[in-house]
Amino acid sequence: MSVLSRRSTVYMLLIGTLVLMLSPFGWLAITALKDSSELRALPIHWWPHHPNLGNFTEALTLFDYLGYARNSLTIATLYAVLVTVASAWAGYGFARLEAPGKKVIFGVLLSTMMLPGVITLIPTYLMFAKLNLVNTYMPWVLWGLSGAPYLIFLFRQFFTNMPKELEEAAIVDGCGQVRIFWRIFLPQSWPVIATSLILSFSWSWGDYIAPALLLDDARTTLAVKLATGYVNEHGQQLGNVVAAGAVMYVVPVLALFLIMQRGFISGISTSGLK
Amino acid sequence: MSTGQLTDQAAGTGTSATSPSRPPAKTPRRPAPLRIRRARAFYVFTVPWVIGFLALTAFPLGYALWLSFTNADGLSPNTRFVGLENYREVFSDPETMDSLWRTGVFTAITVPLGILAGLLLAVLVNQPIRARGVFRTLLYLPAVVPPVGAALTFKLIFDRDSGAANGFLDVFNVNGVSWLVDPYARWVLIMLTMWTVGNGMIISLAGLQDIPRELLEAARVDGASPWQSFSRITLPLLSPVIFFQVVTGIIGSLQTFAPLLMSLSPTPAGVTGVPESNYFFMIHVFAQYFANGRYGYASALLWVLFAIICVVTFLIFKLSKGAVFYSVEPEQAKSKPRTIGDAR
Repeated sequence: MSVLSRRSTVYMLLIGTLVLMLSPFGWLAITALKDSSELRALPIHWWPHHPNLGNFTEALTLFDYLGYARNSLTIATLYAVLVTVASAWAGYGFARLEAPGKKVIFGVLLSTMMLPGVITLIPTYLMFAKLNLVNTYMPWVLWGLSGAPYLIFLFRQFFTNMPKELEEAAIVDGCGQVRIFWRIFLPQSWPVIATSLILSFSWSWGDYIAPALLLDDARTTLAVKLATGYVNEHGQQLGNVVAAGAVMYVVPVLALFLIMQRGFISGISTSGLK
Repeated sequence: MSTGQLTDQAAGTGTSATSPSRPPAKTPRRPAPLRIRRARAFYVFTVPWVIGFLALTAFPLGYALWLSFTNADGLSPNTRFVGLENYREVFSDPETMDSLWRTGVFTAITVPLGILAGLLLAVLVNQPIRARGVFRTLLYLPAVVPPVGAALTFKLIFDRDSGAANGFLDVFNVNGVSWLVDPYARWVLIMLTMWTVGNGMIISLAGLQDIPRELLEAARVDGASPWQSFSRITLPLLSPVIFFQVVTGIIGSLQTFAPLLMSLSPTPAGVTGVPESNYFFMIHVFAQYFANGRYGYASALLWVLFAIICVVTFLIFKLSKGAVFYSVEPEQAKSKPRTIGDAR
């Protein structure tokens, strides 16, 4: 009996929390289905009386939604691919090779994982402005090429646990380290590659502050345009259109997460291991 | 030891002196012994990151430090050194001090609350119940939502006229609360922050799953109550995971610019739209850089925040000595795949 009541307490707490946590998604969807007269209705309509998809067409056309989505997609793909390859590259060095100074470099790497990102971003923006790289995608290329400390750490953990024999056989065959990495280690690490691609892609897709600083209105990403684009002539936000635009922006990320959740979660919880 | 290897390399005597296990590489055909080639390869593999760190992190920080001693405004060409003038202003500007205090209060509320709630949820979804994989996934879902999407959603929920929050309060005859302005805006921000509690839940859950089952079993056999085994076994073994969340939580919270996304005109220069109760330190920095163009003063603000974060992190590391319990050296801990799905 006591086990039973304990278990039902657990269920009640979980279901209650879940309802609370998921209700914002519900309100977003409901708002997206209301037309503007229903949005202003008092008392509010908990359920749209005349649900329609008009907001979605308006969200797509009020500004060039797909164009901005393409900007986001280009930047996120560019960054995700580069940062994954670069992080695997550096992670291999930290995992499998020894050299004087390795401990110091690795220590710096670990402490940069703690380094506050937004603090360095503004002076980085000023630097890119001086170098005339504002309004180009070059900052993301450079960020990608240098790898991300967190992903480097992820690859390093994975490569460290691979058997030594792999490498030794290749060395006997006269393989250089670059070829060992490229031909033997990288093809075996697809779970980490997938994790890294998903994580970096969704960081970049969700990032607001870097594109807001570095790109002008025509070249910016969907995240930035979404936050400011849906206003009427008085500068007031069109709630129902915002909701429709936000649904189309958020749903792909949620879908990606639900499909790939295993990789996603293992990546995130590894960060708590350190 | 490591410098010894360098000298060996320079003198070209090979590695025989330091590694007795390998035969001296004297064959003239071989250009360099294996260990030296491996060392070279190490630098080849790590140098892109080192260059990236120097150019994209260290240099910008140094650049900001230099700016902080000048009166740079980003426009006028005659920038000159003003010494510590900017820093003097930081500590005498009431707006700066207020924003710092607000950020501190926000951090003191959301970080402990988030860790506690995350831990509680982790314990709940770690119980042997039906569909716990589903609970884990769905409770984590809000943490995946991009920040702009989350901010827009909360703006819609807390809209004065069309939001669900006021619709709900209407039932209790409370009408037309203006949630997005002072003094309520801070509560909306706290709720928005708590929406991503799934992050803490997943990290705590990973820690819970690492606790050897035998320990808890043994405690139960010895007659320990659930609370006793939680407070005496689970919590101490979880302390590194909690410690990690404290450190990253504080670092993240002190530099949060989430109020910008919640404001009416979310652009870097649009900080004037941020309600006073959410005018955090980072918002103040944005205002000085992008609304007022005071690059020198804003850079001094950044460095003060950077210093505060360093000192706070250092203090947590110091104070937690003895409170954080490492059962295994983290380096030795075998990393094993962790999944949100049900592992039963």
